[in-house]
Amino acid sequence: MQLLWQILVNGVLLGGLYALMALGLALVWGVLRIVNLAHGAFIMLGAYVCYYLFAGLGLDPFAALPVAMLVMFTFGYLVQRGVLNLVVRAPMFDTLLITFGIDVLLTYFAQLAFTADFRAINPSYAGDNFELLGATVPLVRVAAFGVALLLTFGLWLLLMRTRVGRAIRAAAQNLVAARLYGVEPRNLYAVTFGLGTALAGAAGSLYGVVSQVSPYIGSSLTGKSFAIAIIGGLDNPLYVIVGGMVLGIVEALTALYIGPTYTDVASFGILVLVLIVRPKGLLGRTA
Amino acid sequence: MRHFVTCMLAALALGHSAFGKPIELGASIQLTGPLANTARYYRDGYQFAVDKINAAGGVKLGNAREKIVLRMLDNQSDTNLSVRQYVQLVTQDKVNFLLGPYASDFVLADSAIAEKYGVPMVQGGGASDQIYSRGYKYIFGTLPAATEYFGSTVEAMAGLDPVPKNVALLYADDAFDVSVAEGTRKLLGSAGFKIVVDQRYSSKTSDFNSVLSLIKSRNVDSILVAGHETEILNFIRQAKSLNVSPAMYAFTVGVQSDDFRKALGRDAEYAFGMTPWLASASLKNDYFGDGVQFAREYEKRFGYEPDYHSAAAAATVEALIKAIEKAGNLDPEKVRDALTRVDFDSVYGPIRFNTVGQIEMPQTVVQVQGGKLVPIYGPKGFIEKPLYPMPAWGKR
Repeated sequence: MQLLWQILVNGVLLGGLYALMALGLALVWGVLRIVNLAHGAFIMLGAYVCYYLFAGLGLDPFAALPVAMLVMFTFGYLVQRGVLNLVVRAPMFDTLLITFGIDVLLTYFAQLAFTADFRAINPSYAGDNFELLGATVPLVRVAAFGVALLLTFGLWLLLMRTRVGRAIRAAAQNLVAARLYGVEPRNLYAVTFGLGTALAGAAGSLYGVVSQVSPYIGSSLTGKSFAIAIIGGLDNPLYVIVGGMVLGIVEALTALYIGPTYTDVASFGILVLVLIVRPKGLLGRTA
Repeated sequence: MRHFVTCMLAALALGHSAFGKPIELGASIQLTGPLANTARYYRDGYQFAVDKINAAGGVKLGNAREKIVLRMLDNQSDTNLSVRQYVQLVTQDKVNFLLGPYASDFVLADSAIAEKYGVPMVQGGGASDQIYSRGYKYIFGTLPAATEYFGSTVEAMAGLDPVPKNVALLYADDAFDVSVAEGTRKLLGSAGFKIVVDQRYSSKTSDFNSVLSLIKSRNVDSILVAGHETEILNFIRQAKSLNVSPAMYAFTVGVQSDDFRKALGRDAEYAFGMTPWLASASLKNDYFGDGVQFAREYEKRFGYEPDYHSAAAAATVEALIKAIEKAGNLDPEKVRDALTRVDFDSVYGPIRFNTVGQIEMPQTVVQVQGGKLVPIYGPKGFIEKPLYPMPAWGKR
């Protein structure tokens, strides 16, 4: 019982981080209709930005996080304006190809620039923990979880309560009507993509604190984010949190009861199930 | 003028044929991709050895001396690509001999090409016993058997005070680590250790929280992990954050490498590892002087500390060269036969292949103490005092 409780705590905390990873992907997918295969590479870059701020300037990773988000926002904005905007109305296949290309480019650029050495963002409190009803709770995971929730809620507020957010949703629902009302999609798309990239930057910073950073962490994170976005649904950022939690808990339980070799089988198994039973996501409107 | 150039070219061509073609060695290495971090030991180890041998005049073939050329391709950490590249090296580039890639999964696949085309492959990157269990004749390896990796660790564990009561065994699901686990299970059994957790994990995993929680709930004394550096890095960090501190833990890889210890900082302390090689002045060699000189020159040239992979890579090239000199020509079959008879002292240790083509070499147990790698237990027993039991994370 004790063990099960610990595993559930682990799963929920992991799920929070997962959700943050998927959030940017879901946003870009929902609004721009681009499945960004370079999302994991953006997470990786964000992790490096945070790592260098931490290791080079001695900045606390949680203080470096907003900086990393800002850097990644700018980067995402430029990538959208300079590259993706050219294919934004092209068929899905073209956008997949181009984001795949960006992924390859960034990954190998990262190896050239940062070498293949492993890095870990390892502040003195990285291993601290506390007891909660008999379960050991890692401090940074809780902090990461908190940041993830905060950012998700922030994104939800932005989308629901601000002019920009309304414009983003409008563009996602009906672009022609949105344009008639004066929404300028070029800029708006770039801002949305920048937001998605900034969220990837935040996820990367936190990932570096709880795990490790190398140029090759991207592709598996893209896969995870993709699964979470589908499981949760694209309609609402809060759904992504649910998707992340489901995946986090399922993986933790699978690792304990079936064996750690099978976590991917379980998570992608759920993905397939969701696609069959509820193609709009667990919480999405049924078609 | 044109006449002169033609003359020069003709002279060059003649000169070329007079001294014969250089001996070409082909290899497909993970220069990029997730395995690039460890594969660089092979990239640099192979190149270092080739340059040293060339600087010493090259390979003795009869009365002549031939230079060697290394043709290295990047397989991007993709097994399928590496197989295609070895086919290319043999059929199109027509290299004379093959050097192996890094990691057992790759060697398992690529050695089939060596076998099919009858071109000897000497490799220092794969230790899985599966490589040698297929009766292949053209594959030779300079890493000791995977099943024996934890042998010295288990011996050392029996000599610890107090002896660990029980053991958790974790391993990744690739050829090498599965072999390690198979061997270790037997070793632990015959040494009388009780295995209370025995789990295989996916080598893509970065999350060990469930396994660590299980280990904690079973009051495990000692943990043995066979995996890759990234996983072991995550494992140690997550052990700290979940406050899992057994009396000892030991790992197949990671601990030996400089950038791994740097990434973990103080958290790397107390971790045990193993290595068949430590830079020692007693390892005399014709090309490199001795082990210490090898390490010093290597670090100066490549900017990082060599570990046993580097030394194994250098010995791999030298074994092939020794066999070519013994055979006296470049006939693949003759060289293959000569490989079964090589017997020399490399900078890595004595090289002698057994009947299946693998070498036997004891592993020295090492431990991270004060950021340095300290030899703890070797074939002759304890060398330095182990820091044991490991203090709890909060008491460091």
